[in-house]
Amino acid sequence: MSPATVVTIQVPAPLRQYCDGASDLRVSAPSVRAALEELERNHPALYRNLCDETGTVRRHLNVFVNASHVRDRGGIDTTLAPGDVVTILAAVSGG
Amino acid sequence: MPDRVILTIGTKKGLFVAEARKSRGTFALRGPFGPGVAVYSTLIDSRGTPRVLASSCNAFFGMKVLRSTDLGKTFKETKSAPAFPKEDGRALANIWSLEAGGDRKDLWCGVEPASLFRSEDGGDSWEMVPGISNHDHARKWQPGNGGLCLHTIVRDGNRMHLGISTGGHYLSEDGSKSFTASNQGVGVGFAPDPFPEFGQCVHKIARHPDAPARLYMQNHGGFPERPDIGVLRSDDHGRTWRSIAKGLPSDFGFPIVVHPHDADTVYVMPLDASTRTCPGSAPAVWRSENAGESWKRLARGLPKKESYFTILRDAMTIDELKSPALYFGTTTGQLWIGRDGGEEWSCLFESLPPIHCVKVAVV
Repeated sequence: MSPATVVTIQVPAPLRQYCDGASDLRVSAPSVRAALEELERNHPALYRNLCDETGTVRRHLNVFVNASHVRDRGGIDTTLAPGDVVTILAAVSGG
Repeated sequence: MPDRVILTIGTKKGLFVAEARKSRGTFALRGPFGPGVAVYSTLIDSRGTPRVLASSCNAFFGMKVLRSTDLGKTFKETKSAPAFPKEDGRALANIWSLEAGGDRKDLWCGVEPASLFRSEDGGDSWEMVPGISNHDHARKWQPGNGGLCLHTIVRDGNRMHLGISTGGHYLSEDGSKSFTASNQGVGVGFAPDPFPEFGQCVHKIARHPDAPARLYMQNHGGFPERPDIGVLRSDDHGRTWRSIAKGLPSDFGFPIVVHPHDADTVYVMPLDASTRTCPGSAPAVWRSENAGESWKRLARGLPKKESYFTILRDAMTIDELKSPALYFGTTTGQLWIGRDGGEEWSCLFESLPPIHCVKVAVV
């Protein structure tokens, strides 16, 4: 893992069962897309909960980099800086 | 010796399991399993040691298949759920049907967008079945109100019938390698051509295993100008269909169920087409004992008025005891039992979440 691009992915509680209970995962990735690809390689069961077969982040999930929603930045191509925190949260939706 | 009746009840908020002795006196309820997540399909697989499977259709985290090997006391996710190949471009939106295949671990699964998957290891891995999933018609099918779903899988050796809404009835006679639209006599009320080759909004197909040539279909009826398209019968393995709706208060409805010991006895739950609720606000199951030539209303014990629920396509079933009982679940969360073939109804559970599907087995 290159120390220059290490970021933290915060895993929501319902999905920790898919990554051995980890609440945080450290990955080396220069973008959100690359971070998700890292999850696809190393935590495929977790990845399937986050993205559908086409690689699209599931509709009712929100991805934040630090405090910013990625939709307000570069979407999943949002670039990451060392030490960034990527947070994945379920949307407030349903009924 | 089978001595217990097991009911699986898929709801908007998870899966419930109810269990009773064969006398069906009191049903004990457990669940919800997969709490908070909608369940559209279950299978009580009684080949060998019974297993219970259920779809768990999570709007946040995607589709799962749950499996129980202790008659629905505990459930675990299978190792994977059906998923389209990455290059396909489609993404799984829902799991609508789980059916047992020929071998002990062979399973079939109908999904949304309308496609068919097969598992040969009891649900741990799945492969898309290209004969229907990549059919020339597949990209021309349209979603109905429930989505574009493959909801019905009826097997008969190498023959397989599929119900797709809105795609119609598709028939394979080569072990699911290839499928043909087989909708002669199956009409639509929402297109200029009343009898197209495909594109029908089939709601459910049922048959008796001892009479494989005869099939019953609840199609999307309720069109006054086309009164003969809603409830249909085929006597030639689904090649041609004809109306058996005469005598029913409405030819609209979702489920259709065949008696376990008599291929001529069939049950429907007519609904008002405009509201999808019980005609006159008085629910009734209708039974034919002559393959749809005439119908009798069965409503003893059911509400006589002020009932405005819907019974969805997989929410009515029948057990296989000598004097079978019918069961239906409502979108208002009631589960009803109709003992003695539907002659006498009572409510088993009155405040469940909205019910999508009900299955029963004697194990």
